[in-house]
Formats: sequence, structure tokens, C-alpha cells
Amino acid sequence: MKLAIALAAALALGALPLLTSSNYIVGVGVSALIFTVAAAALNLVYGFTGLLSFAQLAFWGIGGYTSALTVVTFGGTFWWGLVWAALINAAVALVVGYPTLRTNRHAFVIVTLTFALLATLVARDWVSLTRGPLGIPNLPPPTAFGHRFGTTGQFYWIAWAFSVAMLAFLYALCSSRIGRTLVAIKQNEPLVRAQGISPMPYKLAAFAIGAAVTGAAGGVFSFHLGIVDPTFLDFYYMQTFLIIVIIGGTGSFWGVVVAGMALSALPEVLRFSADLRMIIYGVILVIAVFVMPSGIAGWLRERRVAEMREALARVSSTPGADMGGPLRGALK
Amino acid sequence: MSAILEVTDLRKSYAGVHALDGVSFAVEAGSVTGLIGPNGSGKSTAIDCISGFQKRDGGRVVLAGNDISGRPAHHIARAGLMRTFQTVRIYERLSLRDNLAIATQQFDPATWVDEFFRTRRYRLAVDAAETRARQLVELIGLQRYYEVETGILSYGQKKLVALAAALMPHPRIVVLDEPVAGVNPSRIREIEVALAQLNRAGETFLIVEHNVEFITNLCHRVIVLDQGRKLAEGSAHDIHHDPRVLEAYLGMTPEMAEAEMRGAA
Amino acid sequence: MTIDAVYLVQLTLNGIALGLLYALIAVGLSLIFGVMEIINFAHGEFLMLGAYAMTFALPVLGLLYWPALAVAIVAIMLFGFMVYEVLLIRLKPEEFERSILVTLGLSIIVIHLMQYLLTATPRMVDTQFGFEGVEIGSIRITWTRIIGAASALAAFAGLYLVLRYTQFGRAMRAIAQNREAALMVGIRPRVVARNAVVLAAGLCGLAGAAIAPIQLVTPYMGQYLIFKAFALVIIGGLGNIPGAIVAALGLGLVESWIGGFFEIVWQEAAVFVIMIAVLFVRPDGLFKRGGMRVG
Repeated sequence: MKLAIALAAALALGALPLLTSSNYIVGVGVSALIFTVAAAALNLVYGFTGLLSFAQLAFWGIGGYTSALTVVTFGGTFWWGLVWAALINAAVALVVGYPTLRTNRHAFVIVTLTFALLATLVARDWVSLTRGPLGIPNLPPPTAFGHRFGTTGQFYWIAWAFSVAMLAFLYALCSSRIGRTLVAIKQNEPLVRAQGISPMPYKLAAFAIGAAVTGAAGGVFSFHLGIVDPTFLDFYYMQTFLIIVIIGGTGSFWGVVVAGMALSALPEVLRFSADLRMIIYGVILVIAVFVMPSGIAGWLRERRVAEMREALARVSSTPGADMGGPLRGALK
Repeated sequence: MSAILEVTDLRKSYAGVHALDGVSFAVEAGSVTGLIGPNGSGKSTAIDCISGFQKRDGGRVVLAGNDISGRPAHHIARAGLMRTFQTVRIYERLSLRDNLAIATQQFDPATWVDEFFRTRRYRLAVDAAETRARQLVELIGLQRYYEVETGILSYGQKKLVALAAALMPHPRIVVLDEPVAGVNPSRIREIEVALAQLNRAGETFLIVEHNVEFITNLCHRVIVLDQGRKLAEGSAHDIHHDPRVLEAYLGMTPEMAEAEMRGAA
Repeated sequence: MTIDAVYLVQLTLNGIALGLLYALIAVGLSLIFGVMEIINFAHGEFLMLGAYAMTFALPVLGLLYWPALAVAIVAIMLFGFMVYEVLLIRLKPEEFERSILVTLGLSIIVIHLMQYLLTATPRMVDTQFGFEGVEIGSIRITWTRIIGAASALAAFAGLYLVLRYTQFGRAMRAIAQNREAALMVGIRPRVVARNAVVLAAGLCGLAGAAIAPIQLVTPYMGQYLIFKAFALVIIGGLGNIPGAIVAALGLGLVESWIGGFFEIVWQEAAVFVIMIAVLFVRPDGLFKRGGMRVG
């Protein structure tokens, strides 16, 4: 049922450039799609597996730079740029993740944060590779089968296809038994170990996949902007992804997708001042953490559980109703 | 009957204190063996060391002829030793069905590829697990809650869930860490009966408990620890009347202790 | 390359001054973690606000250093008090990720509020000492730096006395070492936590106020330093105060020496590289975590 709605929504979204002639709105659509993918990847790592990883920002930035460099410096295509963005980030994630995941959760958060910061420093200071503060401008539009996706509307379809593919992949992963094991690890890791499952391979895999997807998303976004520079690693992006995940609901795939689409349109509505917008983000973040810690999806879920609890209590209030099974006779 | 679990000279110290000072015992296959002792005797530490949740300082643990000493917890579980926890551990936000399914998934042949693509091998494994789960659920009398989030169950019911989960993968031995601690007295009998039934069907248990009546009703053999050492070993009846045990527990004569134990249960 | 001895001494002195600054920030972070088991993302903002407070207080008080410093510190401690009572009090020790998100949100709000109200234009402020200083041979140090360093040392000495000899200090150490035992003995965690936050805010405020006359004051100044402080707290061991101080001084010296001979980028990256290296070898930090052993 949910899938049917999702497919319909996806098709509707695909039609956006046909419904409006405003480049601005289509541009917002591109951002919404890509941010949703990045948020879904963060959800995999944080919402499902319980790892609060600020490294996503670094992967986003590395992805943006990798695809830009692939095209500009190494003469590859946009598509290869995306592939490299995903592969390199996955490799980096494995290298960084292996020692970091073995430390405690406090250290994990701080190390990932530090890594994000290091990425920013490298972007700004390793001039020979990244061209420093000037960045890499004039990124050419992608081409495929001889067709040049030059306009915003045309690029939108690339972003759309990319997002649908990535979200489909993430959905298949999160709804599989692998996803359920991640959730189990987040909820009760000692129990998982007592049941014969080693958590490390799962955490590493989630971390690497999250990195690959985020990196690819960064790659697409850099070409949308047409330029990649150190501001690509601005903390603003990390905050946006985080807010989407928290409001949508950690661990809820659809909650985050819906929140991603809705919230990406919001900054455009709140266009009055960059600072005021950020202040509102901060306030939303603080309030959400206290009032709706599991996001909107979590809040809906809690309500359903409460209803179930009540229904069961009513049934159980009839005497003897609770004792089922072969034990019934044994208790006399 | 042969010993399914052999513990030899188990040692563990913290900051100079010998929590375990050379403990040795064996659990016979098909038996229910109790492990009791006053607070601080080392029971929980022994369980943690045996099951891989704490690093031991010395000694050997052999499970069905395999040396599992010092292996990580998940390896020991895969070798066939399943355990429960003193403070009950289940996946509170998942259904009873999911709880039981996860408990056995490591033991089926499905790989990540199978899981992602939902291959035939995966679906067969899931069906097999489902069959077993339904059996166990009926045994513990929680059929009504099969699809329900386990977080809403009572504490005693949760302990039953943990027990069922531990049994899912056909373990060689199930180690229970205080299975009835904190459980409503009316439930305790339920758990006792379930365990007896399971044992008759062939399951082996090692039970750490404070509740003496529970241990007496269930266990063929009882091992008593005190201050990190094995104090006594024998049938429940023998233990009741062993003066060393009574002194260690209560500092009393047998008659006083008897009365005490009846009151305390 | 002949190394000029005087140059080295200058670098070393700078390094110590820098290290003391880092230490003020890191100790506060460690204190809060030891007592509440949360990482305060908004810690850098205490410093920033302290610096801004100093820039406002100095002109009003006729550029007199000590009164302005006192005003700034008190103002930030009050702010810390409010932050605790309104936000942090609602957090439980197990809610580590939540605490990060909440303090992150607070950090965003404070930074952008300051930027909105005061713009990002850097502020500069002067003190009664102006640019005068002391000359030892060919080494020159301004009074503002000396006093800043001295204040930091005084603060640490005071902190040591508080932790060692006062009831409040002992309570903090007790909670950091063994929360359950401390609670059983009747120590009230909320009071201790609040005091720890106020104290940490004061240390940061002092740091901010001390550097206000030395460098440009902008809304982002705390953000930048805080990441290094996080790394220092990890290196020194979470909750370990002497560890944090040692790590901070070490970093100050290392950065200063590196900065004196190599490119800036290595100076910046140094702390993070060190942190990752340390974590590789000792996942719990160089020194044991927690405990706040004082003597």
C-alpha cells in the first residue's frame, strides 16, 4: 500500500518540469530530491543503526569534489564521476570506520565530527588538489547518449532518476532482514551478540553504504550548483540532513522521505534571512528532540502502540484469559 | 550422560579482588543444574566469563568437546551456548515474531545477498524459523501477542520471551541468569513449569538463581559458590543440609536455615 | 637551517599561552562530561559570548581590565545557569546523542542570533594596557597576554582547590567516578550538574574575555576552537581533568612549534591527526577516562 502511494508520488514528481516553467521551482525540486537522498543515507546510519555520524558531511564533500575532479581534471564523464564518488567514499568509510567503530559511542561522534572538519580543512588548504578557496567552477552539464542535459529542467530528470534509484535501493535494504538486524543492534547490542551475531560487519556495512550514497548525492549536487568549493562542506548541510531525519523520525524510512521533500521546500518559504532561517532550524531541532524524539513517524507509532496496549488490557481483564497454552492445566 | 559443559579452574579478578578463584564444575547433558551462592560469590561473573561477556583471567571452558575459552560472545553463541540476562533483554520495539526470528537467523544458511534479494534459500529459512517460533510461543502461552510489540508485555512475560528466544536455535545448553528475579510470584510457577517441560523434552539448563525454592524444585544438581570458590556440589537435598552452605549463606543451624528458606521464597 | 634560540623561546611562550587557552575550554568540557555524561556542543559559544561581553564591558568601564573581566565572567556564568535550568536539566545521562543534538541546536541559535543582532563584522577592543608589554631580551610579550595567562593559571589553581577541598568539589568528583554510588550517598545530581555547568561556563567565559583584546571577536570564533577542545578531551580521556590540561598544553606547544616552521594547514590538522593516532592505540584516551583524580 505504502509502496503504491510512493510510486504514484514518484511519478508525479517526475512530471514537475512539465508542470511549471519556473527554473527556480525546478531548482528547489532538485535540492529537495538530493537532500532527501542524503537524509535517507543518514537515516540508515543513525536512524537504523544508531550511529550518530557527522562524517556524512565529509562524504558529501568528498563526493562533490571527486565527481568534479573526475570530469574537470581527469576527463571522465559525469556518470563515472558518480561511480568514483561512491566507491572512494565507501573505501574511506571502511578505513575510518574500522578503528572508530571499535571505540565507544562518545568517541565515535567526536571522531566523525573531527573527520568532517578535516575534510573542510583539506578542501580549503590542499590547493594543489582542490584548488583551494576558489574551488572548481564551470562544471559542465552531464551528457548521455549524445544528449546534453543543459537546462535546469533537464538536469532535474537526472536528479529525479538518481533519487528514485537510490531511495529504491535504500528501501530494499532497510526493509530487508539486514535492516531489521541493524535495528536490533541499535536497540540492544549485547543481546545481538548473545544471539550469535557480530555487530561489527553490520555497522561497517551501514557506515560504508551510507557514505557511498551520500557521496554520490554530493556528486550530483555539485553539478547542480555548477561549482564546488569549500563552502560545499558548510555545516549547514549536515544540520539540514539531521533535522530532516529527526523530524521525519529516526528509523522510519518513509517518515524521513516525506520530511525530506517537505523540509527542503521550507527554506525557500523562509527566505527572509539566512540567519533567521538558521535560528528557526536550531529552535526546531531543540524542540523536536524534547517533544518528538522519534520524529513525526515515531509519534504516530507511539499512538498506535498505546491503542494496542489499551485493547489488550481490556481483553486481559477477563479472568483466566491471559493464561494460554499447555501451562493452563499445570497451574492448578 | 556426558558433560555438555565443562568449566575448569575459572579465574577472574578485579582490582585485586578475586571474583572467581579457580572454579570448576560440569553440567550433564539433559540436566537442569543450579548455580547458587550468596551475593558476591561470583555467580554472575562466572556466567559472564563462560558466555564471553567478560574476559576471564584463567581457566578453561569446554562446550560439547569444543574449547570456547576466551572466545567472543557471538562465537560462543554460535557454538551452541545461549544465555539470558539478569535484567531481561529483548527487542522491546519489535514484535514477538521478530524477536524470535532474530534469535535464530545467525544459524540459518542465508547470506546478506540472500537477505537483500529475498531468494528462495532465504524464504525457506524464514519458514523453518516461523514453524519453530510458533511451537515455542504456544509453549509459553503468548500466541495472542505474536504480532505485538514486546515492549507492552509484563516483566514476567518478557522473561518468557527471552527464554523462548534462547531456545530458538536448538542450543546445546541454555544458561539462565536469574530467570525469576523481579518476577511476580504467580508467574514464577509458570516459568518453573515451562522449564521442567522443556527439560523433559531434552533441553539442558544451567540456572543461576537466588530463589532457593525455585532451584530446589527444578534442579537435579546444585553447585554452590562462595567468595569465588566452589563450596559444595550435590543434589538439592544434599545442599540444603550441608552445614558449610548454611553457614556461608546464613550463618545458621540447619533448622533455622530451613525455616528461613521457606519464608524467603 | 639554524634554529634561532630566541625564536624557539618565543614560540614556546606562545605555545604555553595557547595551551592555557585550550586548557580552559577543554577542562570545562571535561567537567561537564564527567558530571553529566554529555558533550556540550555549545561550549564554544560560552567563549564567544565571554569575548563579546568583554568588548561591551571594557568601553563602559573605562577600559579597566579587571572589572571588565569580572563582569564578563559573571555574565557568562549566569548564562550557563540559564542554559542548564532551561535545557540541560531535561537530559538524562544515557541520552548521549540527544544531548549532542540539543546543544548543537543551542549552538546554532546562539551563533546566528549574535550574527543577526551584531553582524559578522569583527570587533576589536582595547584595554587600559594598550599594546604595552614586557621585554626580555629581544622577546616581547604584551601585558594582555601575560595577564590572560596568569588568570588562566589562577583559575586552574582555584579549580584544584575547589575540587579537592570543598564539599561541592568532592561531590563532582564522586559523581564522575561512580554515579550510582554518589546518588546512594545522597548527592543531588541536579545541583552538582548545575554547578558544574556554571563553573565550566565561567572558565570558558574567562578564556573568551582574556583573548578579546588579543584577537578579533566574531560570532564564529568559538566554533572553531571547540572542535579542537573535543579532540583534546578525547585524547586526555573523557571526564579526566588533569588529562585535558596536559593534552591542551601539549597541543598548544605542538601547534606553536609546527606553525613556526611549517605551513598553516599542518598546524590546523595536527590535533586531529594526533587524536586519531591516540584512539588507534588507546581507544579510551591517553589517560584513563573519568575519575577526575585531583592529586
